[in-house]
Amino acid sequence: MSAGEVLDPDDLDERERTALEHLCKRLGDDEFVLAERYTEWQVRSPSLESDLALSNIAQDELGHARLWYDVLDDVGLDEEELVYERDPDTFRHSTLVEQPFPEGDWADAILRSYLYDVAEKLRLEALEESTHPKIADRVGKIQGEEEYHLEHAQNWLERLADGEEGTARLQDALDRLFPHALTLFEPTDPDVEDDIVELGLRTATLQDMGEEWLSIVLPFLESLDLTVPEGGLAEADGYAVTGEMLPAVRGRDGSHGEAWDELFEDLTNTYRELERDRPTKIMEKPE
Amino acid sequence: MDIEEVTERAGPREFSPADDLPEEYRKAATRMIEFHANSEIMGAYLERPFIRQAPSIDRKLAFSAKVQDEIGHGQLLYRAAETLGVKTREEMLDDLANGDGKFLNCFHYPMTEYVETPMVAFFVDGAAMRRQATLRRTSWEPYAHAMDKVCFEEGFHVKHGEDILRTLMNGSRKEQQLTQEAFEEWWPRIIQFFGPTDDKSTHHDFAASVGLKQKSNDELRQAFLDQYVPKARKYGLEIPDYPRIHKNDEGRWVVEEDDLDWEEFFTIAKNEYEPGLGQINGRKHAQEAVQWVRDTIEADNVPAGGQPPQAAD
Repeated sequence: MSAGEVLDPDDLDERERTALEHLCKRLGDDEFVLAERYTEWQVRSPSLESDLALSNIAQDELGHARLWYDVLDDVGLDEEELVYERDPDTFRHSTLVEQPFPEGDWADAILRSYLYDVAEKLRLEALEESTHPKIADRVGKIQGEEEYHLEHAQNWLERLADGEEGTARLQDALDRLFPHALTLFEPTDPDVEDDIVELGLRTATLQDMGEEWLSIVLPFLESLDLTVPEGGLAEADGYAVTGEMLPAVRGRDGSHGEAWDELFEDLTNTYRELERDRPTKIMEKPE
Repeated sequence: MDIEEVTERAGPREFSPADDLPEEYRKAATRMIEFHANSEIMGAYLERPFIRQAPSIDRKLAFSAKVQDEIGHGQLLYRAAETLGVKTREEMLDDLANGDGKFLNCFHYPMTEYVETPMVAFFVDGAAMRRQATLRRTSWEPYAHAMDKVCFEEGFHVKHGEDILRTLMNGSRKEQQLTQEAFEEWWPRIIQFFGPTDDKSTHHDFAASVGLKQKSNDELRQAFLDQYVPKARKYGLEIPDYPRIHKNDEGRWVVEEDDLDWEEFFTIAKNEYEPGLGQINGRKHAQEAVQWVRDTIEADNVPAGGQPPQAAD
């Protein structure tokens, strides 16, 4: 497709539909699972104020998950198929968002948010000109909220990195989370990923976004006196992700850690116990 | 101002931080607002697991927002209590963690099943609404002011609870049965929400005479029963045989007080009820786990001799 062309969402061929499904699942699943981890901080944050802030962010992410999943509703996938009755091995979120964290490890919440929010900023920019009208339309609303998330994470990072204990905890979280953050830029399926870009659903490649992400994240973390794990990242002509740094499970391809199985079991527990066959809708479909 | 003058002037929103109030008033008001604020926090603690357990994304959002509202109410109320100059917010939160802070009886009971959530979100919150509505006319103006916002949001919480109850009671036979069982377990606790009858209540007289409390336990319980017995029935719940209740000559519901477990109630009131200690200590544990963050921020922010600014949000 050439620039300026628009897909007709009501008339998608097999290839277009598959590409759309992969793209929206990686977007929606990321937001949904990240929100699950954020909500663990509710009533457990360091202060009432930080509790309120993180709750806001969690609800924003859940709202964004609704927006991406709703795009798939148009091609006949509804909430039970996308979440409650889905095979957990078909979720396409990055392993960054599913990671459990030690109790009280606020450094994890903040660093995870930072690594994620920078990536999200870049991928939203790459969706502004999407050939799918609904995707392009929704980017602006999400960007408005994400700006605050990134600001929140950066402010906290700077405050935590100001003290010895904070820096040590951030370093520990960075060592743990960084390899998983790299999976944000992994393909769900290399061929489908090529289609996503060729069809103009997203206008940047994962590799481009990954390199740009590194060029933002590395200098900032280093300015806080944090050491990004594994040398050799910075190459002569910029930054690149190398395969060796990736964790054994990459999320995007459906491979996940044990923590995901537990989390999924937990979040679908009531639905299964009560033998529900559809999730209760109480809100209107998003505009 | 002495107590006599306070009693004479006592009326809705009569007193503010500009007034020079006797210690007895300030202590009684602090105790009452602190209890209320603590209850918001412990209620949120009880409901948080159901953000994850909720059976749809919409419900998940509603639970997350509700828990957030309650933390916000806690924040507002601690501020209203602080203005009395008796205790700081940190002292109140520390007392809550230590097991010295008191809070509502219902929030001492563990809640493990989703079908229990409307018992809190519909019945307990509905009961709380009755009391809170009267507190918009309490004599401590900052408390009354906080109540305006709290009552507005509580209205949504009760609707959320009512909607969950409606869905459950229109669901499968299994759902209905589990919900009925949860109701039977919670019903006596819900009736005890308003505390012992007036003749046995410890703090009522003074709080009423200085206008802090606007309605007695008995009046509130009566109004709640008259409204919620029919509501429970409307959704297909059966009122349990015990505690016995019957309609009196005026057509109002009367509870057989002796059928209620007041020993358990007073054990709870002293924070000595074993299952409830799990919640108090669980929250304490969670608070201790993030103590390092508060230490980091305080070390960072306290200017020499000054007050630490509010934590960033």
